[in-house]
Formats: sequence, C-alpha cells, structure tokens
Amino acid sequence: MEKNDIMIHLRDINKTYPGAVPLHVLKGINLDIARGELVSIMGASGSGKSTLLNILGILDNYDTGEYILDGTEIKDLSENRAAELRNKLIGFVFQSFNLINYKDAVENVALPLFYQGVSRKKRNKLALEQLERMGLKEWAHHLPSELSGGQKQRVAIARALITNPAIILADEPTGALDSKTSVEVMKLFRQLNEEGMTIVIVTHDPNVGAQTNRIIRIADGLIGVDGKEIASK
Amino acid sequence: MIDLSKEIWQTLSTNKLRTLLTGMSVAWGIFMLIMLLGMAKGVLNSFSSSDFAKSANVIQLWPGNAAKAYHGLKEGRRVDLKEHNLKEVERDNQSGVIEAAPELSSASTKISTSKDYVTKNYAGVYPEAQEQTKMTYGRFINENDLSKQRKVIVLDLKTAEVLFDKPEEAVGKIVNMSGLSFTVIGIYEHRWKNRIYIPYTTAKALNAYSDKLSTIRVTTTELSTEAEAKQLENDIRATLGKVNRHAPDDESAVWSWNRFANYLSGQQGMRILNTVMWVIGMLTLITGIVGVSNIMFVSVRERTHEIGIRRAIGAKPRNILTQVIVESVALTTIFGYIGIIMGTIGTTVLDKMFGNTDFIKNPTVDLSIAIEVTIVLIIAGALAGLFPALRALKIKPVEALRTE
Repeated sequence: MEKNDIMIHLRDINKTYPGAVPLHVLKGINLDIARGELVSIMGASGSGKSTLLNILGILDNYDTGEYILDGTEIKDLSENRAAELRNKLIGFVFQSFNLINYKDAVENVALPLFYQGVSRKKRNKLALEQLERMGLKEWAHHLPSELSGGQKQRVAIARALITNPAIILADEPTGALDSKTSVEVMKLFRQLNEEGMTIVIVTHDPNVGAQTNRIIRIADGLIGVDGKEIASK
Repeated sequence: MIDLSKEIWQTLSTNKLRTLLTGMSVAWGIFMLIMLLGMAKGVLNSFSSSDFAKSANVIQLWPGNAAKAYHGLKEGRRVDLKEHNLKEVERDNQSGVIEAAPELSSASTKISTSKDYVTKNYAGVYPEAQEQTKMTYGRFINENDLSKQRKVIVLDLKTAEVLFDKPEEAVGKIVNMSGLSFTVIGIYEHRWKNRIYIPYTTAKALNAYSDKLSTIRVTTTELSTEAEAKQLENDIRATLGKVNRHAPDDESAVWSWNRFANYLSGQQGMRILNTVMWVIGMLTLITGIVGVSNIMFVSVRERTHEIGIRRAIGAKPRNILTQVIVESVALTTIFGYIGIIMGTIGTTVLDKMFGNTDFIKNPTVDLSIAIEVTIVLIIAGALAGLFPALRALKIKPVEALRTE
C-alpha cells in the first residue's frame, strides 16, 4: 500500500480506563484501512469495539500509540481542534440516527455546515442537494418524527456526507431498522463506497459484516485474524 | 444571528409551558422593579417640582444679636442689616451671588375696604421675591413700581376673598392701609404662602426712609454640592462681619437659612430612596433569575444527548457556551420586556390614581430607566445562563453514541 493511500493508520494503540480497578480496554491495536475501503469492525460487547470507535471518531483520547487519519496525526488535540477535525474529516452515522428532533430534515443535514460558518442560504442549498441524492427531496421540511426509520437513517447519512468527509464512521447503522430497510441502507453504503467513499461500519450483525469488503474482528482489546482479512489485498 | 435566534426560538418553543412559567417569574421581577422605580420617581418628581425646589437657590439672612465679642465690642449687641450691605454682599461674592435683594416687613397693620378688614403684616420687596409663585389675577411688583414708589399691593387669594366680594374683579380696586390708599395689582394663590407684598421703596418711605432691612434675600448661582452652598453662606457672613463689625463666623449676629443646602440634603434623601427601590427591585428580580438559571440547568440536562450530537458533528465548546447563554439572555429579556410593558401599564394606572396628589407626581418610567433595566436584564440573563452553560461544556461528544 502506498503511504497516501492509507486513510486510517493505527499503530499499537493502548487505552486504559482509570478506576479502582483500571480497565485495559485496547491492548495494542494495529490497523490500516486504505482509501476507498468498505470495512466492518465486529466484536462482542466488551471487546473494546466501542472504545475503538470513539478513538477513530476523535471522540475520545488514547493513551499510547499512533493514529493518523487522512494524513493528520490525531494526538493530544484541544477540544476546539478535535471538533474541527470531526467536522471536516468524519461523517458520523449512528444507530439511533441522532437527528435533532425539533429541526426538520434540511436543518439537520445542514447543521455541520452551520458549525463551519457557511451561510444559511448556501448550506440549505447543499443540504437540499444531499437530500435529493438520498431521494428525500419531498421530505426536506419534515421533522424526524414524521419520517420512517429508513428515511431518518438516510437523513443522517446525508448529514454525514454534507461536509464531504474523508471517512464515514457508522455505528450499528442498521441496529434500529427492520431487515428490509437494513438491506436498503447497506445498499446505499455500498453505492457510496463505489463512488470512492471510505466507510467503516461498527456492527455485531454478521449480515452487515458480510456485505462489507473486509471484516476486522476485535476481541479482548486486540485485532483478531480473520480469513477474509487475510484474503483481501 | 438569524440562525442563533432561530435555534433559540426552536428550543424555547419546544417547552412552551415551562418557558412561560419561568418567564413569568422574570416578568414579575421586572414589573416590581419598574413599579418601585416609578413610585420612587413619582416621589422625586413631586419633590423637585415643589416650589421649595424651584426656588432653592436662595439664601435668606436676618439681623440678630452678636454672640461673640469682636474688636472691643461686647457680645449681645444688636447687629442690623443695612441697605448698603446688599452692594457689599454682591461685590465680595461675585462668583456665587446673582443678586442680593432687600425685604422690609412691617408690624401688623389694618388693611381695609368698604366690605371688611384684615390685620396682617406686609413685606416690602423687590420683583425677585415672586420666585415661582404664579399669579392668579394681575401681576407681581415690577421695576417701575419700585422706581416710582407706587402705592400698589399684591394680595393672596384668601385675603382678597375677605376684602372683596369677587376677588377676580379686585385687580385695580383700592384698599386702605396705614391711612393710605393702595391699588391692588395682583392676586396669587399658594399652598402655604399668604404674605401681602408692596414695593420695597414704598415700604421704606412708610418706614420713615430708614435703611434698616428686615431680611436680605441672596439669589445664588447654580450650586452643585452642599459644601459649596455652605461655603457661600459662610463667605457672605464674613463679608457682613467686616462691614457690620462682628466675628466672621458669628451665626447669631446674622441668622441665615440656606434653602439650597436644605434642598440638597433633601435631594440626597431622594437618591437614597431611589437606591433602596433599586435594591428591593433587584432582590425581587433575583428570584426570577434563579428560576431562569434553574430551568437552564434542566434544559442542559435534558439536551445532554443533543449537545453530544452537536459536539460530535463539529460544534466547538464556544458554540455550546454561546447557545446556552444567549438562550438564557433571550428568555430573560423577552419576558423582561413583558414585565416592562406590564410595569409601564402599572405605573400609568398609578399615575391615574395618585398622579395629582402631593406625594406622587407622574410616577411613570422614562427611556433612561428602560435602558438601565435592559442592561440589567442582559447581565442577569447572562449570569443565569453562565453556570448551566459551564455544565453544558462538560458534556463530551461521546454522549452522542449513547442510545437514548
């Protein structure tokens, strides 16, 4: 792999939660994800999956190791800088959609641009474009409570895409959806991936994992060896 | 700005009842503040529009008996005020004195018409003695009356009612006093003044052209402090002491009444009243502010997840801080203004009820109070929002990943 083809580079990441009994959650994670990959991270609860997701999403710090995201070293960032990088580099898709319930679809999609200081007119135009791309133009001015689960998740994906991020980080994106809608959402992810987007999906659903190009298994704070992983590239 | 106000409108209208209830406590606080300030202002207006305040720049001096020995002169001797003292007072205290005017009062005299008579004393005065008294009919004594020693007289309304059937027709009629005929030139009505005035020169002639004065009335320039007023009073006494030969600080040789000094201490009392009203009003307002602060805490807590989402998608701590504080300020000011409107209506009602009494006059608030209250509201709102906002800052973006 060429250096600039690596989107995510984790080297010997360690994370311990302090406490009466310190909890060593990540015990030296080594992981490279290339630009344009569609990967899933799978693991049982308690495996360190969520912690890894937090670190990947710049939502939490790690103790030792090296994390380079799209050429930017993520280490000891200030709150402001972290917020800036999250806004610019990462598009989040959450299990429970995490739309703001008193804002309509356009406002929700436009919100990341609000924090970039983009003018109202421009960001609403861009948000509308994203919604159109998701086939939700008619629902642009509906509140989340007026949308179905699948529609909500597509609004959330539109919000993740609006800043044109380096990666999409999805946390159980189909966890709150029925099987039919899950398939649709996964199809959407695959389509985005074909357009060149790097997508990391954290899940415990094997069906979801199966639809990704590579499955990264995490167990007991370490990356496991997976047949598929070895097979790829 | 539009974005921020839209955000705030959305969050405030999500919990309409709660917003309303919290807001009412602020509105009530401001209402009370405005009512109290309005009442204080009413009392203040009544005080400063009184004749007492309008003619405050007068120092009156009366002759007395020296209390101290001076240059071989014994204490207890009579010290007269003479006509030439007027010039000396004006000359030596030019910075503070506009005019020194004489006054000559008589002993009780019988004043009669064909209808009836009264026994009163009169005062021979200069035109300045009119001060702020409004004439009901006719005019006050003028310069011509003085220079021509006219036998003219100004009566108060009560006396005129005794002497004439129709006081409104009394101007131009004749009254008898000290065996002479005086033409009535004016009638005035006043709450407590009831003196009868004739020109000083006429009174002097009636008094066998003696140059002794019963009072010197010194009109002063605008003085700002009580100390300044007291200083001028002392300077004038020192001037008189030099020419009339008594100790410069002998307060018994020349009695004085400094209306200005009295007025100033009255004014200070008014300022204290105003301050007390502010304090009470603010304490009432604090109840409202604590309510706002409390509700902002609840709101931040409820929106922990939402704030987490915002942080995750790129909101900086500053954005969150601003939002909470501005929301608090908006809540406080919107309802504060409702309070101002209620207060304005309240003071107007107060004005209708008590506006014309002696103690409260025009108790309505003006623009400057509205501006002051606005500043208070903004600061109060910001303070109310500060602690909840700091709490909101502690919310980590990881919160976004927790399922509700």
